[in-house]
Amino acid sequence: MTPVRMLSAVVTTTAGLALLVWMSAVTFPHHESNDAALRLSFSARPERIEVCRTLSDEELEELAEHMRQRVSCEGVLATYTLRIEIDGKTIGESVVRGAGLRHDRPLYLLQDYSVPPGKHRFRVSLTRREKTDNDAAAYAKAVVPEVDTGLYAGRAQREANERARRAGVAIPASLVLDTTLVLPPQRVALIRFNAARRALELYAEAPSK
Amino acid sequence: MHFLKRSFRRLLGGAEAGLTRMYGWQWNPMHQAGTVSALMLLVLVATGLYLVMFYRVGDPAASVARMAADPWLGSWIRSLHRYATDVFVLAAVVHALKMFSQDRSWGPRTLAWISGLVLFGIGMLLAVTGFVMAWDSFGERLAREGGRLLDFLPIFSEPVSRIFAGDGPVPSAFFFVNLFIHIALPLGLGIALWLHISRVARPTVLPPKRLAWGMIGALTLASIVRAAPLGSAADPLRLVSTTPTDFIVAWWLPISEKLSPGMAWSLALVALVVALLVPRLTRRPRTASWAPSVVDPRLCTGCNQCPQDCPWEAITMVPRTDDRPTLVALVDPALCVSCGICAGSCAPMGVGPAERTGRDQLLVFRTETLPALLDAPAMPVVAITCSQVPSAHRDAVRVLGAHIHPVTCVGNLHSSVVELFIRNGAPGVMIFGCPPRDCVGREGPKWLQERLFNDREAELQLRVDRRRVRVGTMAPGDLAGAIAAYNTFVRDLNELDTPVRESQVDIDFECEPVPFEDSSE
Repeated sequence: MTPVRMLSAVVTTTAGLALLVWMSAVTFPHHESNDAALRLSFSARPERIEVCRTLSDEELEELAEHMRQRVSCEGVLATYTLRIEIDGKTIGESVVRGAGLRHDRPLYLLQDYSVPPGKHRFRVSLTRREKTDNDAAAYAKAVVPEVDTGLYAGRAQREANERARRAGVAIPASLVLDTTLVLPPQRVALIRFNAARRALELYAEAPSK
Repeated sequence: MHFLKRSFRRLLGGAEAGLTRMYGWQWNPMHQAGTVSALMLLVLVATGLYLVMFYRVGDPAASVARMAADPWLGSWIRSLHRYATDVFVLAAVVHALKMFSQDRSWGPRTLAWISGLVLFGIGMLLAVTGFVMAWDSFGERLAREGGRLLDFLPIFSEPVSRIFAGDGPVPSAFFFVNLFIHIALPLGLGIALWLHISRVARPTVLPPKRLAWGMIGALTLASIVRAAPLGSAADPLRLVSTTPTDFIVAWWLPISEKLSPGMAWSLALVALVVALLVPRLTRRPRTASWAPSVVDPRLCTGCNQCPQDCPWEAITMVPRTDDRPTLVALVDPALCVSCGICAGSCAPMGVGPAERTGRDQLLVFRTETLPALLDAPAMPVVAITCSQVPSAHRDAVRVLGAHIHPVTCVGNLHSSVVELFIRNGAPGVMIFGCPPRDCVGREGPKWLQERLFNDREAELQLRVDRRRVRVGTMAPGDLAGAIAAYNTFVRDLNELDTPVRESQVDIDFECEPVPFEDSSE
């Protein structure tokens, strides 16, 4: 290799490496504006809208032993209207429902809304669309399980308890979070569902006022 | 498709010529883009094994930050891992484009093309999971986009994106799965690599040692001088203005982010389908220069040389159907790429693609080449050139007074043609091929050298003065080298006696037959 070629090889290699190093960490813009964001993120089970009835002894007799449920319910999971208002202005409204092709999975929510930094009043509401009293919670309260005996002793009570438990962790018919926040630039205020309290709550580093 | 092929050929040819001018063809990395990718995989495995010892799925960002802050080993090994990833991607893309532009992506090479795509896909996935492992702002950005795209597919019971919502720490299970994919996928890479080279004989997997160590050294130096930057630790509740993004791996990221998941998947699917269809879209009719080799059983002596020389393992020896006690060569057209190497390997000239067998070459010599040469006032030096060499180089040698005798590949050339030139009074024959590692027929220059100077079967006969025969390389970008080699050859020839033309030249061809062994005995 001649000295000239050696020199050109060194120069080319150095330039190539510099290009490689630069391309390996190009600064790509991401969130270019100074805006903050309001994020809704939670998963919860929607209410089950059911029509329940107590089966008679004769009807139970016709079923296989392991299929004999005292209370039989049929229905679907509730759907909700989600509305987000900032400073009194609606910035998003959509229908949300359980996941899955048959919408029988829990409801998963992950939405971001861009918000200018500063003090804002947020109102997030989740309202059930179905107008009915025949939901599981209502039914569970109404049903007074009979005292079963023998092989089925306590079964009706257990069924009622299970329905009440499921209804107890489901999203209630109406949820509202109305709060005022000061959002610093490029920060995210997160709103989530607290299953224990069955309420929307703010999870944010931003100070709430 | 032909326009694309021509464009890429011109583009890559220009780049290749430029690099040859800088490094010389022997050390031009573009001639060995495929093996450079394989070398980078080895570097990635070696550096990855070190890095994984210090990686913590429970605290990924902090553990990577600790590595990056270690000036002795961690920092540059991590950087080398990253730069090797980039070189792997670049080399793989160059390799694929070269194969595409050189018509080496269809027919028997379809498996190599498809497995190459799989290799590239796995490599990209490995790169993405690697960046996510670091869990800096760039890793988070990639993970978010990946989650968004995955959530579009009905494969997860719960949206993946919610992991990064910020209402809790990202679970260690996510990083464990990511790490598992990052470590397990190289096994798939190994299988795909095996498939990729399964159809070629004597696959060359690594570049020459000097180039390999040179590249590793240069990347190590770059890693020490300029460590790969690490973005700020991921924070789901912060919107970062910019991220330090690896453009080579994630050039698609800003585009994908702007598209709906459905559109992004659709575009990716279209790109994949087009890439998969390349062998179908680029295939040629198996006629003329693409016709597979055929065997003339009457001439085949069963010497077993063509199966050994075939770079594609397309020839096998099978029992004959007549009563001769030898085996006979059989070409599998589905594996044959029409490189014509077998034509140069057969002493009795019984195999080769149509119109390119040794006999066809002699016929052309006797009917076209020799009469033209005899008309000349003096027999010129002959330059036999591969059809792939740059035409400018060929013309330059012609201007210097050489008679140009083109062949499709120097590995295709039968040594009898060289002998005929010399015995008909040519002062010398110089054979110009492509750089040995960049031969379209894979092993043309290698077998030519062996046949001419090392007595490989179908050898140049002893009666030919070897001082009048030379092998050179015509690499794009090295016109001066080709001219210098030719001038040196002519100068050396001038020191020899004046060549004498033999009258009534008759080439006899021999090949020791392999005795037929009957396994039933």
